[in-house]
Amino acid sequence: MGHLILSGVSKSFGSAEVIKPTDLEIVDGEFTVFVGPSGCGKSTMLRMIAGLEEITSGTIEIDGKVVNNLAPVKRGISMVFQSYALYPHMSVYENIAFPLRVAREKQPEVDRLVNRAAEVLKLTDRLKHRPGELSGGQRQRVAIGRAIVREPSVFLFDEPLSNLDAALRAEMRVELSRLHSKLGNTMIYVTHDQIEAMTMADKIVVLRDGRIEQVGSPLELYHKPNNRFVAGFIGNPNMNFLPVTCKSADPEGVRVTFADGSEAVVAVDCGDARPGDKLELGIRPDALRIGGDDAAGLKLVPEVVERLGNQTVIYAIAPDGTPLCVVGDGFAEVRPGQQVAASFAPADAHLFGKDGAAFARNFDLSRLDRLA
Amino acid sequence: MISKYKWWELVITYTGMALFLTFILAPFAEALMVSLRPIDSVFRVPYRFFTDNMTIQPYIDMWTSVPKLGRYILNSFFISCAVTALALACIIPAAYSFARFNYRFRDGFLVAFLAVNMVGAAVLIIPLYKLMFSLGILNTYWAMIIPGAAFSVPTGIFLMRSYFLRIPRELEDAAYVDGASRLYTLRRVILPVALPGIMVVTIATFIAAYAQQFLFALTFNSVTDYHPLPVGLYQFFGRERVLWNELMAASLVGILPVLMVYVFLQRYIVAGLTAGAVKE
Repeated sequence: MGHLILSGVSKSFGSAEVIKPTDLEIVDGEFTVFVGPSGCGKSTMLRMIAGLEEITSGTIEIDGKVVNNLAPVKRGISMVFQSYALYPHMSVYENIAFPLRVAREKQPEVDRLVNRAAEVLKLTDRLKHRPGELSGGQRQRVAIGRAIVREPSVFLFDEPLSNLDAALRAEMRVELSRLHSKLGNTMIYVTHDQIEAMTMADKIVVLRDGRIEQVGSPLELYHKPNNRFVAGFIGNPNMNFLPVTCKSADPEGVRVTFADGSEAVVAVDCGDARPGDKLELGIRPDALRIGGDDAAGLKLVPEVVERLGNQTVIYAIAPDGTPLCVVGDGFAEVRPGQQVAASFAPADAHLFGKDGAAFARNFDLSRLDRLA
Repeated sequence: MISKYKWWELVITYTGMALFLTFILAPFAEALMVSLRPIDSVFRVPYRFFTDNMTIQPYIDMWTSVPKLGRYILNSFFISCAVTALALACIIPAAYSFARFNYRFRDGFLVAFLAVNMVGAAVLIIPLYKLMFSLGILNTYWAMIIPGAAFSVPTGIFLMRSYFLRIPRELEDAAYVDGASRLYTLRRVILPVALPGIMVVTIATFIAAYAQQFLFALTFNSVTDYHPLPVGLYQFFGRERVLWNELMAASLVGILPVLMVYVFLQRYIVAGLTAGAVKE
């Protein structure tokens, strides 16, 4: 219950195509996160699945039934809105009971379902209160309660945590993951926060400009991004990109030259790389080591050093002016303005062509399966 | 914001307010004083605000000088209530439609409504008379209720529309996702949330209807029993003299229903009734 298939779904407002034709399959019980920068069409996509936004072309199928022209409630979905959208004049009980009242459920059944939802969400002693008397986190839980009470097959969340403060957000993240494992429904979650995506998702859908850039598990996206955009979007702090030139390409990898003339061999499928091609090398901040003696080295000048205790985040610039971020240990010997050497293992590096497409890394994804 | 004023700024502020209030309240004070003295003392020269022979006799006499005074007051109240009810029945759906739906010429219609408002009833009184005549409702309550409602609808729509626009659209989306129809959503979600706005419009319409009924009653009605208070007050104008003190007493008593409606309804204009609907 809750198998969703989008085929060739697109959306235009006038002549502007905000969602390009999209194919996507979400299997039953999966926690899928749509992530992307603001304006990438992720909320529109969610509203199209919900039935709040008309589809220009293509079909949406839920459990083998085309639902293009069905009202939201007939699709078996329910939705939690960014602003909670609680009814201020109704008690928490009536807010949660609203979908049941619409469906004209009998009072004993309403009681049973509302109490059960309230129990799951720890709202039992708040049922008589008005939304105005609740804290942000409680309001959010009421909104979730209203969504789960009619037991839909697909839950849709539209940036539900973006109005909460950081501590509460972390708490609600855990709570949502717990709720998902308890209910086992299909959940689709929209966010611009890649941490929410990484922590909660079974599957992440990265969107940009109304187009799906990549679909995969969080670690798959982290370790094998399809292109420069996904690589830069997933992972915190963001990946560093250095301009390099291809020197030679062979099955073992691509030998590249940095701006300062040093060389490294990146272990990727060489594809159609030719000597002389301008490429970009991607390296994650935590893969760079200050003063390490790995095969590939860089000189950099730290500008800002953030010491977080367990780690040190260093914002630096390379001699050619490229900004770089390095995550070192809590005792990293760096000071702003003093040049340091950093190095990385070529196996950790990513390589991107001129068009932004990634060269396939020789990374064994089966390593990730063991973690699942 | 820190509001710290210099002493002279405070003086200017309070002087301005005092001036304004004097301007508005002086006629009431004068009316009250006139209503509280015998007719002979009203025209005494030199003028005195307080006189020795003050009495509440006019408040008693007025019911006998104009025997139907009670009926006129009730008529006024009834006509205003009917106008308000009829106007609200038109204003709420229209304002909701203007606030939420997209259709061709929508903004044009809105402008047209407001343009009608600018012309005003006085200009249209003769055509309206003809209209009432053709409809055969001259000399009925309807002749005063229908035009009264019609002329308060445009302002009401404008007020109500801006209130509806402030209600977050997500509330309706949420109800729609939960399977509620448009009408169900309007009834169970939008109207309760918009209650403070509806109260404002109700009060504004009621007061406008109370004030404006004079013109319609004078033109469209000649049945004494249907007269509202403003027309009924004319009966204090005798052949030889005007009973100013009783006239003022009757006027002040006639304002009471409006005051009562205001006091009763303003309790519902509770700030923060919408608190907690969405994150502000």
